[in-house]
Amino acid sequence: MTTRRQLLQGAALVGAATLLPRPAYAAGTGNIFVSLEKGNEVVVLDRTYAQIKRIATSKRPRDMHFNQDRTQLFVACGDDDAIDIIDVNTLEVVDSVVTGPSPEVFAFSPDYKTIWVSNEEYSQLEAIDLESRVSIAQIPTGAEPEGVIVSEDGKTVYVTSEVADMVHVVDVASGAVIKNILVGTRPRRFIFTPDGKQLWVSCELSSEIFIIDRATNEIVGDSLFFVPPGFKPEDVTPVGMAVTRDGSKILLSLGRANHVAVIDGTTHEVIKYILVGRRAWSVDLSPDESVAIVSNGLSDDITVIDMASLEPTQTIPVGRVPHTVMIDG
Amino acid sequence: MARLAPWLMGAALSLLPVAAIAQDAPRDVRIGYLSLDYDARYDEKLVYLGLVLDPLTPPVPGARMGVEDLKILADAAGFSATLDEQKAADVAGLVARVQEMAAAGERFIIVDLPADVLDQVAAATRDLKVTLLNTTAHEDFLRERCYPNLLHTAASDRQLADALVQLLRVRNWTNVLVLFGQNPRDKVLADVFTASAQRLRLNVVDTRQVTQSTDSESMEQNNTLLVTGGVDYDVIYIADTQGDYARYLPYATQLPRPVIGSTGLEAAEWNWTWERDGASQVISRFDRLTGDLHMDGPDWAAWVAAKSVMTAYGKSRKTDPDEIDAWMRGARFGVDGSKGVLMSFRPWDGQMRMPITLSTADAVIEAAPLDGFEHQVTTLDTLGTDQPEFVCK
Repeated sequence: MTTRRQLLQGAALVGAATLLPRPAYAAGTGNIFVSLEKGNEVVVLDRTYAQIKRIATSKRPRDMHFNQDRTQLFVACGDDDAIDIIDVNTLEVVDSVVTGPSPEVFAFSPDYKTIWVSNEEYSQLEAIDLESRVSIAQIPTGAEPEGVIVSEDGKTVYVTSEVADMVHVVDVASGAVIKNILVGTRPRRFIFTPDGKQLWVSCELSSEIFIIDRATNEIVGDSLFFVPPGFKPEDVTPVGMAVTRDGSKILLSLGRANHVAVIDGTTHEVIKYILVGRRAWSVDLSPDESVAIVSNGLSDDITVIDMASLEPTQTIPVGRVPHTVMIDG
Repeated sequence: MARLAPWLMGAALSLLPVAAIAQDAPRDVRIGYLSLDYDARYDEKLVYLGLVLDPLTPPVPGARMGVEDLKILADAAGFSATLDEQKAADVAGLVARVQEMAAAGERFIIVDLPADVLDQVAAATRDLKVTLLNTTAHEDFLRERCYPNLLHTAASDRQLADALVQLLRVRNWTNVLVLFGQNPRDKVLADVFTASAQRLRLNVVDTRQVTQSTDSESMEQNNTLLVTGGVDYDVIYIADTQGDYARYLPYATQLPRPVIGSTGLEAAEWNWTWERDGASQVISRFDRLTGDLHMDGPDWAAWVAAKSVMTAYGKSRKTDPDEIDAWMRGARFGVDGSKGVLMSFRPWDGQMRMPITLSTADAVIEAAPLDGFEHQVTTLDTLGTDQPEFVCK
């Protein structure tokens, strides 16, 4: 396990490289952060997509989220059992939170005091109190838990098990699973629709999206399939999702099918399939929703999508196995 | 894929009082596991000064892990699962075990048996309501028997050969020297490879038998320079199930050419260095379970056999074992073996469709089907004998 001291030493070495002075505003730098699962670093691009920094992290950085005021970026590092904290202004690792084994995907509680993280190799969902750094709950899940999302009131956490093909519904007050919802094969990620009514689950191997009614925790309607022209259903391995604030469009990465589907939030029909790189993985919208950026895990690059025209505008090499993209708009 | 969930909605994890929520007490499902008391395939190969080459180990930990991995699905679906591990000394004993297991209500038995033994056991139990899942016998003839009670999660010889041949086709290494050892099985493997190679229009420039015998009269067959000389080729394929000729062949050839087959680049169901598609988590679990054994092809085949049975009980929405069996063999079944695609059983020969890894000692170079091989139904059916060509014998 990497200690905090080692991390800080590593950060200091990287920080020694001369950088242009940058104004210290809390948010809105326009910078783009990409975690590299096999590169053990987070690459930072500016709003012109020029690379400005490669930040060494603990091993196997994957999921990332900003803190409440967007001054820090948290990065789950699966092979060092830690969530590193990057200062968004100095672009250095400044701290690290010790987690259970193999953290993969995480989410903050609405008050940002608790981190809910899936421990992929020990099949549990863990809650960590951010201030004390104490692990305050470990909830057993099916094997290989992945996607984690916390309800707006902080009372419910949803987590997928990739092996058991389930969504576990966790009641925070009791720390217990109150419902298991069987979905498609290898469920990966979640989004809430902006109206708060639905939970969408991407199921990578059965190529489908399940929609769960949050009031009842029941599946609504048939699962959705999105197969770009010229592909077989088996080529489609959906993972990452992002939704516009008005709920009108949902972006879905189709994995091996090398496309992102833009889905109408009301009719659930496809508006457009956009060609991106190989194994399209996570997708993030910029805060002003002018662009979306997709990480392409097998072609080691990211693709920028212009949201007005729904056209891919640039592909930028970033390094080995890009996992998650976060845009500080 | 249709809705699977509604009947599971009220179910809960084992840490909750399941019985209070599920409609009935959990059903007890016993899954059989059958192997030989003594199986020569698992002898450690002692070579020279007690050197142990990475030995093949019985794959039962894979089956245990498959049951364990889906216990939570079983809890939600209202059944509890146990693996009933049995052994016997010979065919008669194995048949008696199968009969006992079937009588005790076990509908599925995972088997780890050599092909000739399994052939006899399957024949003797073909009228029982029991499905055997073959995890370690690759022989094509077992598929061509068309036993109604036999499915295969071990890859067939032809699947493995087709995977290698796809790679040669993609690399444009079209001229192949085929070598085979003295075990009768070596000639069978060389023939399967040759048939596969010819189907994809590779050119087998020559086929030669090799021997380890060191007498001077056998020099044409034991000297690696002579064995690989006198003809040009892009690549050497060797079938040598004993392995001791193949082991010394790379870097000992007349021409500087790669070696594939029983050494060099090998085709298998799985390789312990596979790291895509969630494989690294599977391999870590297996390491922890076994105290750091490498997870190899047979371990994967046993794991996915157990997962298949657990998935069928958990997702079919059936309680009648015959209906569960039919569902598992049907088009709506799909199992996740951490190879990036859903896998199912071919109705014509009971063979599981699957990607095949092509690996060196420490890396997966490719996984077949390779890009560019297309099929009207599923690209997985570009590996192995496809329905139009398949004949029961």
